[in-house]
Amino acid sequence: MLMPKLTPYLLAAPLIAFIAVFTYLPIISSVDLSFRSWNFMSPEKPFVGFDNYARLFASDDFWHSLSVTAVFAAISVPLRLALALAIASYLKREIFSSRILRGALFLPTITSTVSIAVVFSWVFSTDYGLANAALTGLGLGKVPWLQDPQIALLVLILINTWKQLGYDVIIYIAGLQAVPQELYDAASMDGGRRWQVFRRVTVPLIMPTTYFLLVISVIEAFQVFTIINVMTRGGPAGATDMLVHLLYRTGFVLFDIGTGSALAVILFVLLIGLALVKSRVLGAKVHYEA
Amino acid sequence: MKPKEKALSALALLGGLVFLSPVLYSIWMSFQTAHSYYTGGFDFTLSNYATAIGQFNFARYLFNSLFVSGVVTIAGLVVSTTAAFAFARFDFRGRDLLFGVTVATLMIPSHITLIPNYLTLAKAGLLDSYAGLILPAISNGFAAFFLRQYIRGIPKALDEAAYMDGARPLQVLWRVIVPISRPAISSMGLYIFLAEWNNYIWPLVAVGKEDLYTLQLGLARLYSVNPGEGLIDWPLVMAASTITILPVLLGFFFVERHLVRGITMGAVK
Repeated sequence: MLMPKLTPYLLAAPLIAFIAVFTYLPIISSVDLSFRSWNFMSPEKPFVGFDNYARLFASDDFWHSLSVTAVFAAISVPLRLALALAIASYLKREIFSSRILRGALFLPTITSTVSIAVVFSWVFSTDYGLANAALTGLGLGKVPWLQDPQIALLVLILINTWKQLGYDVIIYIAGLQAVPQELYDAASMDGGRRWQVFRRVTVPLIMPTTYFLLVISVIEAFQVFTIINVMTRGGPAGATDMLVHLLYRTGFVLFDIGTGSALAVILFVLLIGLALVKSRVLGAKVHYEA
Repeated sequence: MKPKEKALSALALLGGLVFLSPVLYSIWMSFQTAHSYYTGGFDFTLSNYATAIGQFNFARYLFNSLFVSGVVTIAGLVVSTTAAFAFARFDFRGRDLLFGVTVATLMIPSHITLIPNYLTLAKAGLLDSYAGLILPAISNGFAAFFLRQYIRGIPKALDEAAYMDGARPLQVLWRVIVPISRPAISSMGLYIFLAEWNNYIWPLVAVGKEDLYTLQLGLARLYSVNPGEGLIDWPLVMAASTITILPVLLGFFFVERHLVRGITMGAVK
């Protein structure tokens, strides 16, 4: 077979060109901009060394935002995984009822985040929302869900969990279905009770899936933006000002390109670290067919 | 169905409805007048949709979303499929490097590209244009990776037979590979379309002109016109929200299994 040598290059060129221009060059240019001082407008972009990084590390906003993000991840990730594994172990059988529930759980993961944010703004609005209607129905007082700095972040965690749960459940079901049934049978023959079988057989065998979901959901937690931008704008009193929202504010509201880029680079390094953990875990352990 | 199974199904249906109740209720609310919403009772009306479409330009946003997501999906599929074909079927210098570079994009968080892509498009004069919304979204490392894996599973004898008959590479791709890869290509098409349909942060920074708003942007703006605890016209906002989710909702019932299969394959393989 004679084939012009150029053919494969021509076939791959469009994809590679788009990736180069819109994914790789931006990384280089973010690093470059993070060492400069610029506001979009001025003709000059003076080199300022590590000033932007120093300013970030000295600013309360940055540390506050990092800690809000960490709290979000620390609460939402275990919550998601625990709920998802529990639900998946009930829904793993291929029967009609579990397919209905899986469909319902999965729907929010493909639904627009903006719509979900708007709908839950109503659910948690103080005077006309569903949540407070339920509370007053029970004879309890109204809660200012999104106005109270102590509560607002928890509300966002709840909404995020509601949206993402279906994905975790689907992945867990794929993992659980790959565990050979004989192992369960053997364990219950030995007189293991349900909870013990779950703890001693299911949880260890499903560990690779758990690692995968753990890393994915931590990465996701560090990228939450839309629900914040629509529902709280980082408030009340900065209580929900997570990292990507801070990045957006710094770059596109305050037009501080240098500091915004420095923040982007820091976040990038954090997330790449996590992604590398993920690919190592995946490469090493997860090898079952869906 | 056995009685026990029937009971379980009913219970599952109920559980699903409860889980989705906020969204279902928002759709219900969109058919109610603002007056009846605030005073109690239920007056059926389509006026919220008329207002969203007439007064607030949601027909335009719907068109923009369909157009942008449609073009991104088609262009994304074309560049991913041709590249996947090259990676799967040709031996060439730099192949592994280029494929590695493509797969590595899966690890790169998109926020790092936000400011630089904004600057690139500003320099090219493409902010506030369809091209500005579309171009940065076209490359999709996941789709290219997924399709390459799929194509590698197709017996090479099929290509060779076509080459024997005098076909050229693009003809082999179009007549042999693409028809066999239909399930994988349509899974990826759905995946790209959904991601672009729901994209919010990029339109938010790339577009200022109201004419170019996508549904996500239009809905967020409509809601933020009167945020907080003022008297929001909730039924109107919910009509806009329903317009935003309805295409996905309708599509979901046709393609659920397709979608789920694509997602688990991507995650577990």
